Amino acid sequence: MSNLPLGEEREVKRSSGVSLDGAPLTYIVTLAAVVAVLAFVPLSVVLGSGKSFPLSQGIYPLVGWLLGPVAGAVANAIGALIGVFLAPHTSTFPVATISGALAGGLAAGAMARRGSRSRWWLPLSVVFLLVYLLYAGRAVFQNGARLDAVLAGSFIDWSAWLLFVLPTRGLVAGWLAHAEKQRVAAGLFLGTWIAAGLSHLTGSLAVYLLVNWPNEVWGAMVPLALLEHLARCLVGAVIGSGVIAGLRATGMVKPTHAVY
Amino acid sequence: MPFTEGTVPVVQLEQVSYLYPHAGAPALKDISLKVRPGEFLGLIGPTGAGKTTLCLTLNGIVPQFYGGRFFGRATIAGLDTLEHPSSTLARHVGMVFEDPETQLTATSVENEIAFALENLSVPREEMRARISWVLEAVRLEGMEHRHPHELSGGQKQRLAIAAALALQPELLVLDEPTSQLDPVGAQEVFATVRELNRALGMTIVMAGHASEELAEFADRIALLSAGALVALGTPDEIYAQVELLRAHHLRPPQVAATFYLIGRTGAEPPRIPVRLEEGKTALHRLAATSGVNPPARLPHSPAGEGPPLLSIQNLTYRYGDGTLALCDISLDIRQGEYVLVIGQNGAGKSTLVKHFLRLLEPTAGSVRVAGSDTRACRVSELARRIGYVAQNPDQQLFNATVWDEVAFALRNLGYAPGEVAARTRESLESLGLLARRAVHPLSLPRGERARVVIAAVLAMRPEVIIFDEPTTGQDACGARAILDVSKRLHELGKTLIVITHQLYLMPEYAERVIVMGKGTLLLDAPLREAYHQVALLRSTYLAPPQAVLLARELPGEPPLLTPAEVAGCLACVLGGACT
Repeated sequence: MSNLPLGEEREVKRSSGVSLDGAPLTYIVTLAAVVAVLAFVPLSVVLGSGKSFPLSQGIYPLVGWLLGPVAGAVANAIGALIGVFLAPHTSTFPVATISGALAGGLAAGAMARRGSRSRWWLPLSVVFLLVYLLYAGRAVFQNGARLDAVLAGSFIDWSAWLLFVLPTRGLVAGWLAHAEKQRVAAGLFLGTWIAAGLSHLTGSLAVYLLVNWPNEVWGAMVPLALLEHLARCLVGAVIGSGVIAGLRATGMVKPTHAVY
Repeated sequence: MPFTEGTVPVVQLEQVSYLYPHAGAPALKDISLKVRPGEFLGLIGPTGAGKTTLCLTLNGIVPQFYGGRFFGRATIAGLDTLEHPSSTLARHVGMVFEDPETQLTATSVENEIAFALENLSVPREEMRARISWVLEAVRLEGMEHRHPHELSGGQKQRLAIAAALALQPELLVLDEPTSQLDPVGAQEVFATVRELNRALGMTIVMAGHASEELAEFADRIALLSAGALVALGTPDEIYAQVELLRAHHLRPPQVAATFYLIGRTGAEPPRIPVRLEEGKTALHRLAATSGVNPPARLPHSPAGEGPPLLSIQNLTYRYGDGTLALCDISLDIRQGEYVLVIGQNGAGKSTLVKHFLRLLEPTAGSVRVAGSDTRACRVSELARRIGYVAQNPDQQLFNATVWDEVAFALRNLGYAPGEVAARTRESLESLGLLARRAVHPLSLPRGERARVVIAAVLAMRPEVIIFDEPTTGQDACGARAILDVSKRLHELGKTLIVITHQLYLMPEYAERVIVMGKGTLLLDAPLREAYHQVALLRSTYLAPPQAVLLARELPGEPPLLTPAEVAGCLACVLGGACT
């Protein structure tokens, strides 16, 4: 400011009324509604189930970055839960849908570089590792699928875990907070690869309990899963770029643990 | 009413300054202001002056929700707004915002009012008593079980006031509560607020551009500009300063503008009246002493010529739920006409114009554009010929920069990059937005957001341009800028259709008026004739501009339209130049 105000500067304490982990309830409700609406739009099929999965999977990470890990996970879970009832055609198995949504928001929100939530990646990475071991381990040791087929078919899952554990996590957070739109878009794409991958892993574990794909299905999953995951990343980058630019422009209050 | 020493103010601002997060300039700057109990304070200022920010400061949303930097002290009902959460302040301050639609969430009038009370754990019996009381106070008795969306615009806003009132606040803050209402709806809201103020002694702070109404109802007026308090005084003191208001892009009441012009001719009215009845009295006195000399010839609107460009024959439209929105309407609009469509909220104005773009299809009858039945045309084809600027600009904004927003449609229509750039630049320049080309449209104030949408439509160079309430939420300067663009387009031979409730803005622009009421065509006449059909206008909840009502007080009731014309009538005989 060129001319300093006459009044004494006061300490501003932020209180947004009803909030969850620093995210206003209104934001949570709004984003849950967006997730529910996108649950109507099928993105691709789920092999062996005759069902599809929804476009909303592309924005689970975005919701986590906008609201933080806890509120993001809750908004995703509420939206997914509503979607299960209103758009059952995109839900293979409700537990998988909701747990996947929850994990996506949690993982994305935990990619923070600063604050207490920046340390959440460590326990989460242990949990996701256990989930992967259970998922892939059942395929190999219980169902007799070949290890190379399972590794190839679950490429998006283990690569997401690796990128989550490595410093790429912080790199994504840095890009998301960057002023340049291109960096933000890149952060959204790569970040969606990571968080939506972990969301997919969590949901797949639940689905796999039901469908027990044989070895051939793991092979077929290689190109399909990759293509679908790229579509998720594209959805996250396109929607997220507009949303983050709009939020910055309107000066709307940023939740305490937001990562953008 | 002056502030008397010893009165404990409901609002006390001491050197309040505020910066939004990441903002370079303060939204409020060094504001010191006291509002005493039972006072009605009008808050006026150009777009972006800080009116909304000041309103939000009064219940602590600024800065508690937005963050940012806050200087000075704001005390409401004795509570420091930085030391008490908004939930506590909400018991003392009721808020009503511009758009009633955004505030109503419940499925019945009764539930809407109960919502805030439930959140504050008010006992059930107390809640029932308060609901009855507030419904009576805002004259919505008997509508307890109606769905809020069944109410008219004025009724919805009164319901929003009722919901705020149920908390029994000491202070009621209203941020442009009438800008989206027809004149009678606005009058209803003002009358309700004034009654609450007088009967219950409730303190009122109302921000807005409705100068005629604020002059009538407010005790004091605070003029904000660029975040600073520029002037504070009674309506007589503030609205009589016509040059000060114009310097801040504000519009004085037409009665004040009329007597200001009379005064400039050499005649010296004892003071500039700011209310209609005072103006009528002063005009009678002047006319009795000096006589009047109405102009022998008044400018007339040229009649449209040639075959109709837009033609509606026996159009009836019924919404899916059975609501009859338009009933057997027939009219023709010719190339180059400037048509004003007016009528109460819900009269069917927007429904009518949406038929030109085939956004709606007739239930019966036909709509033709340049001779082709719209049923046989694609919406995209019609959109190239007819530009439509909808009521809410935010519904038409989705790009990341102002430039991209304006260029969007051109790129999609396959224009060469050079042509896209040239048209975009020209369109932005014509609306004074070129300097804003790199910013996000949503970061602009509402008035400028509306101008971005208009720029995007103009860049398409359509033959017909429809403006649906283009001046809502604009200050006088912003409204003029938009209408001046419409005038330039008209001069270029474009056909203009404007829907607005702000009749005082249109005499310099429109030629022909279509008056609608409850889905029917009540009148189709030249503007000068239509504006003087006072009874008919009132039948569709419209109020003629004050200048028209003043003119009707003159001998012979000359069909004058503007303060300049009325003043000119007297200026002739008072020694000034005749118009």
